[in-house]
Amino acid sequence: MSLRRYLPHYLMIAPFIVLFAMFFLYPIISGLYYSFQNWNGVKPPAFVGIANYQKIIASRDFATAMRNLMTYVAITVPLGILVALGLALLVDNFTGRWANIFRNAYFMPVVLPAFLAATIWRWIYAPNFGLLNMILGWFGRPSVNFLNDTSTMLYALVAVDVWVSAGFNMVIILAGLKNIPVELYEAARLDGASKRQQIVHITIPMLGPVLFFVVTYGLISAMQVFDKPWLLTGSSFTSYGGRRNALLFPVMDMMGRAFGSVRFGEAAAYGFILTVAIIALTAAMFMLRRWKWRK
Amino acid sequence: MRNLNKLRSGVAGLVALGMIGSAGAAAAEDVTLQYWVYSDFAQGEALALQQEFIKEFSAKHPGVKIDIVGKGDDDLTAGQVAGAASGQLPDVFMNAQSVGAQLVEVGALDNLYSKWMAMPEEYRAQFDAEALKGCMPKPDELYCLPYTGFGSLLFRNLTVLEKAGIDTSKPPATWAEWFDQMKKVKAAGLYAIPDDTLVFNSVAEIYATSGGNDSWGFDWANRKTRIDPAIMTTVLQKFVDMKDLNSSTSRNDQATKDLFISNQLAFHNIGPWVNPTYEEAAKTSGLKYDFVLIPGDTAGKTGGIRSYEMIGVAPGPHADLAFEFAAFITEKSQMARWAKLLSRYNANAAAMAEPDVSALPLIKLSVDAAHGAMDVAAPYFVDSVPSCYNSTVTDIAAATADGEYTPEAGAKEMISQLNACLAQ
Repeated sequence: MSLRRYLPHYLMIAPFIVLFAMFFLYPIISGLYYSFQNWNGVKPPAFVGIANYQKIIASRDFATAMRNLMTYVAITVPLGILVALGLALLVDNFTGRWANIFRNAYFMPVVLPAFLAATIWRWIYAPNFGLLNMILGWFGRPSVNFLNDTSTMLYALVAVDVWVSAGFNMVIILAGLKNIPVELYEAARLDGASKRQQIVHITIPMLGPVLFFVVTYGLISAMQVFDKPWLLTGSSFTSYGGRRNALLFPVMDMMGRAFGSVRFGEAAAYGFILTVAIIALTAAMFMLRRWKWRK
Repeated sequence: MRNLNKLRSGVAGLVALGMIGSAGAAAAEDVTLQYWVYSDFAQGEALALQQEFIKEFSAKHPGVKIDIVGKGDDDLTAGQVAGAASGQLPDVFMNAQSVGAQLVEVGALDNLYSKWMAMPEEYRAQFDAEALKGCMPKPDELYCLPYTGFGSLLFRNLTVLEKAGIDTSKPPATWAEWFDQMKKVKAAGLYAIPDDTLVFNSVAEIYATSGGNDSWGFDWANRKTRIDPAIMTTVLQKFVDMKDLNSSTSRNDQATKDLFISNQLAFHNIGPWVNPTYEEAAKTSGLKYDFVLIPGDTAGKTGGIRSYEMIGVAPGPHADLAFEFAAFITEKSQMARWAKLLSRYNANAAAMAEPDVSALPLIKLSVDAAHGAMDVAAPYFVDSVPSCYNSTVTDIAAATADGEYTPEAGAKEMISQLNACLAQ
């Protein structure tokens, strides 16, 4: 009786369920299966237990990649959101044509293909002739090799990342800003609140859910960083990570193991380690939020 | 009326069946081969010549169509690995010998030995024996036909050398002479050389100034590196010595070419593919440069590495025809035309000996460079090199240049880490 009653509903969600099972569930389950196998992508897999996981965790490159990732995430996520918030507050002050111009200008890097963005930044960072070094030269500063000096490489990547991601985050924050009732600001102004006090006591608390989304999404994206460091360091499947692996990140190492060394079992295990780390971090974010709500 | 409709339907059905049948017969005759090449061979004059080869081959093989597809280095490898997994491999393809083992492992490469042996001796004798040996991990296994290749060269900016007071008429004959010139260039306020610790191939190039094939590459039977600690100590000392002389850009960076073209960099040790850029700069901005052999530690020994791109054939129903096409494009006449167009050395020794090919200065020197050079990652087609190998070499070379290890300690640490990496 209930099946007949809900049959149309099941039929309507069936396309989603089928596609979800084919393109999400199956790859995840098969990935988990292959992470316990010695598998080169073609030949029959052979069960190796947790050997792939042990091999990855014991490897020198994994430690380097994780160390780089933690530093990168700790800098790029807060900095990216601060810049996006600043831009959104700036653009929010404009109306009409100027608001559109600024919004589109800041959003432009988001739609730029990664290889093009990397090419532009390789030119900006180039020693001696690059735009940045030319500017440094005007102030009598020596040329800096941003993409080969291990003390600057990570920050050079962060700058590119913030440049790309700020526009996307700005649009989301801007939408959040538009939803804050103007009456709150009017009341605050009547009470004599300064602009800074309005931002701290009205804007940021009212943006809470939006900022939570932006932070969570930023963390998940940052944990999977791949294309920008890959392109900035001119990496290939057999050689990646730049000078002294200063821009080596987990997804790059995973790709190298998969296609450079045809160790797909190992790459699958790598993917699962990263997935667990992302899930743990996201869960921590949600728990923190719930705890703050309860407080 | 109903009967007429039935008749019409019957006739339409028969016509459709007939059409399907004739299409099936045509499909049996017509074959389309997928031919994957490097993306720079799929544009401009290179593509035009490749298409001419295809046209000539198709003229001799009616019904055979060849689709040429250009792909970047990583896309070639990823596409061939994924193609092997899905059973959708291209029939004939290019790639580097250095990724050959991965392709053999996933079954993307056919063993061509029996087809090769069935070819006339006249054809087989055309190839450079060393280049061919690189395709043969065992006497009865041949996984590729060697194609274009390189022996690395030393590009010299003559203006920079003259500014440094160096006599450019005599290229450096030994490492000591070369290093002395580098110091003079630095003293003149210019850069001597790119940072050769940044790229695996450039570390190998400097290693080749002291060592050779007998102390480089992999001992796959014992899963150990063949790098000699004493030679690597010497080489790491060279990186320490060059630390203050280099441009801190890698040999592959556009910035390195810019420095060379703008008369700020004296030497660029790299393969011949940079020559078109420098040739153009000579025409448009008056760049004065030449290319010579990379000097080794002793007179007569040359440094540098060699490597080949290869033509591979996928196993499958079209493997025989695909091999025929691969043999056609690697044959002397085609390889001579290919070499003349690109001014690039290739593995067909007979083509390289053609008077109008060997007269080209870049090819002439490339032949000498390749003969004296070290194979970059031999032996090929045995086992895939773990991802940690190349990064360990460049990391420890860079760390030693930065002063974190003494050359002796760096060499010891490198060999220990490489053995651990290969043992994984």
